[in-house]
Amino acid sequence: MPETAAALLPADEAGWRLEDYLRRGGYGTARRVVTTMAPGDVLAEVRQASLRGRGGAGFPAGAKWGFVPQGGSGPRYLCVNADEAEPGTFKDRLILLRAPHLLIEGMIIASFAVGIRNAFVYVRGEYGPAVRRLEEALAEARAAGLVGPGLFGTDFGLDVVVHRGAGAYICGEETAQLESLEGRRGQPRVKPPFPAVVGLFRSPTVINNVETVATVPGILARGADRFLGLGLPKDGGTRLFCVSGAVRRPGVYELPVGTPLREIIEVHAGGLPEGARLKAVIPGGLSAPVLLPGEIEVRMDVESLARAGSMLGSAGIVVIAEGTPILDVLMATARFYAHESCGKCTPCRIGTSWILKIVGRLRAGGGAPDDLDLVAGLAEGIKGRTLCPLGDAAALAIGAMAAKFRGELERAVAR
Amino acid sequence: MSAPKTVRLTIDGRAVEADAGTNVLRAAEKAGIAIPHFCFHPGLDVEGSCRMCLVEIEGLPKLELACSTVVREGLAVRTTTERVRRARRDVLEFLLAEHPLDCPICDKAGECRLQDYYDLHGRHPGRMLEPRESRAKKVPIGRGLILDRERCVLCTRCVRFLRQVTGTGELGVFERALRSEIGIFDGTPVDNRYAGNLVDICPVGAITSEDFRFRTRAWFLTRRPSICPHCSRGCAVSVESRAGYPLAEGERRVYRIAARENPAVNGFWMCDLGREGRRDIEAGRLSVPLRQGRPDPGLSWTEAAGEAAAAIGRIPAGERGEKTAVVLNGRLTCEELARARASFVDGLGCRNIFFADSRPGRADGPLLTAERTPNLRGAVAAGFSPRLPDLGELAAARVLLVFGSRLAEHHGGPELARALSGGPRTFLFAAHAGPLDGLAEMAVPVAVPAEKSGTYINIDGLAQAFDRSLEPAPGGPAEGAVLEALARGLGLDRGGGDGR
Repeated sequence: MPETAAALLPADEAGWRLEDYLRRGGYGTARRVVTTMAPGDVLAEVRQASLRGRGGAGFPAGAKWGFVPQGGSGPRYLCVNADEAEPGTFKDRLILLRAPHLLIEGMIIASFAVGIRNAFVYVRGEYGPAVRRLEEALAEARAAGLVGPGLFGTDFGLDVVVHRGAGAYICGEETAQLESLEGRRGQPRVKPPFPAVVGLFRSPTVINNVETVATVPGILARGADRFLGLGLPKDGGTRLFCVSGAVRRPGVYELPVGTPLREIIEVHAGGLPEGARLKAVIPGGLSAPVLLPGEIEVRMDVESLARAGSMLGSAGIVVIAEGTPILDVLMATARFYAHESCGKCTPCRIGTSWILKIVGRLRAGGGAPDDLDLVAGLAEGIKGRTLCPLGDAAALAIGAMAAKFRGELERAVAR
Repeated sequence: MSAPKTVRLTIDGRAVEADAGTNVLRAAEKAGIAIPHFCFHPGLDVEGSCRMCLVEIEGLPKLELACSTVVREGLAVRTTTERVRRARRDVLEFLLAEHPLDCPICDKAGECRLQDYYDLHGRHPGRMLEPRESRAKKVPIGRGLILDRERCVLCTRCVRFLRQVTGTGELGVFERALRSEIGIFDGTPVDNRYAGNLVDICPVGAITSEDFRFRTRAWFLTRRPSICPHCSRGCAVSVESRAGYPLAEGERRVYRIAARENPAVNGFWMCDLGREGRRDIEAGRLSVPLRQGRPDPGLSWTEAAGEAAAAIGRIPAGERGEKTAVVLNGRLTCEELARARASFVDGLGCRNIFFADSRPGRADGPLLTAERTPNLRGAVAAGFSPRLPDLGELAAARVLLVFGSRLAEHHGGPELARALSGGPRTFLFAAHAGPLDGLAEMAVPVAVPAEKSGTYINIDGLAQAFDRSLEPAPGGPAEGAVLEALARGLGLDRGGGDGR
């Protein structure tokens, strides 16, 4: 699929500038959309493409846009989620570095479809070079009249503000991101109301992941059916799979939705290094329950992974080779969630840190097999009880590790 | 505004009606079904963070928050299923895992949600082997409030109260995850006149008041409803006293005054001035009757009232209205004021009726009014036009009856002494001691508002009846009884009086 690969993620950063992007036909789709299409038709096209959100939850983007109430005179906002913080995920950073104008073009189209005049990009605090690249690209676009009032000779305009986060995982959660954007502590809000109805500054707000928005111009350029045909009927197109860990060629691979996990690991990422044997795969960022070697025939789409008891999440594939103690993996995982829990709701705040305390004790050699039951039980106590999905994520990731590697963990604890 | 629409739903199989827009938690509460909760407070925005109020809602796969789920027609809620019980127990286990369990020295013990809910919904053995986090246990955060971070369950009621009710925002949550803690910003303490409410709304013993800490136990206290007499708002309060023990050194009759819910007047809150009113009940009281300024334990209030009536009786009948002066006050109940009017105005034809009360302060917006007396509207309703007397008006009388000690706040002691010496025979009936005590021929103690029953009309014209919330100090009758005795002595008794 060389054509689509080039369409979403260029091979390097060389051609990020506006002049290069324009030479490749950049902003042509936005121009055509804004000058010739009705917003409702744009929305219909995105719905037709079965574009699922690329951030983690996999919610259909067209449906999300459609939740924004029609009419009304107040402002609406677009918030592009560039807080990419899920361990094992590094695709949005590459989009920002290599194709910032593709993202901006996507923002124009999405905003036009939903009737938005003000957009924000919430960029992860650690992404210094990426945020500078985006700012530069925005300056270019503004100077060229591609961002600002009266785009393409119409009365449609779009203003874009880049906001840099402070490095909290929770700010990738959409309502926490809105709180943070509004200047408060980044902590999730109770839903409903959903952001599409009551979002940023109490106004209807669309929050989409960077990749989701950057995928939109391609859909409008080549048509929804073409996009849909690349992937699966209910999960269209291609997506960026981030492969890291024990593979020969770690990196970001743009592949059709539904590509088998084994193919991504063995063909695209070059398989495991010489002599290494596969032990486990985390298929969709750390929060996705771990898969065993016998489970990697699974196709990489939202529904297939859900059926396999895991999730596609952010499509961050972490490959773990034999020889890596699972207790170490569990420890790193527990430490991450205990550190990043925002602390707002009880089960996540106390549950994740309690689990970390136990796992730390196990690793220090002070455990008993019962402790594994306790870890599993505490994960159950978190699951389904928290304010935002990140509690579930912690519980599922930890619970799956504790369950699937029970034997190894028991042996490790007994030593 | 039209009446709120009613929605029908079922909770635990029971048909329940609730106003549209209310949440499941309040609808259940109204139907007598308690759903445990820490962070939800009806006077604050929904936070949804404690996760204690999770319930099952038919048709939804996950447990839902009773605090954030708005009632809908046909909603079927279950609060007693195994899943719900399990969720409650798990949330309690998490909270208690990091709780110091210092109930034996905690002032909230006995009225603590965490304690009560563990008893009702937890009853699990502790499973955490690791040491608990140790945190600061006595952080002064201002206004005599002490924060114990180990006991805190991070419900953020305090933070939200200061943001949403007072708008002062002195408290915030700092740090993240298990390190999260409540605190003040950069050494700027809590500083507003409603800070005492933080103690009321803290569901555990994390915020306590220096005034109450370590003084008694919650289970020794008798709580009786009353109306706050310290301004004309008429906030609903609870007077919390300890009865049944002889007062030893350091013990109090009233340990605290807390806010009581009244949507029509004060919502859920009261001001700190009202809370400090506990001192008004105990401190500075006129405790022993005085005759010519000297303690006379043998002097009863009935004798004083009888002597006062006799003194008026000795004025020639035609001059009684002219030569009798009465100073009333805005702490008298509507019933007492009506009796005063019947006796002095209708009975004696007295024209010299005055009022002396605390000086007005500043209204502060939320509740506290400038008027610092509870029943001036009642005085007007009884047909009086309250005004202070000038000294000449007092000096011209042959008999002066003074109710209350506040006259001396407006006229200095020496001036009062000059006006009254060789002037009227003065009889004082006051709850608190003051410079007038020594100037009166007889001075006898009477009750404070918490010790009597009656009706006050607040600044908005709302009449609120209240019952005695505290046994009166021995020998200290309500002014109503004094007024009745006076009426009897003057031959004006119309019967039907209340001896209290």
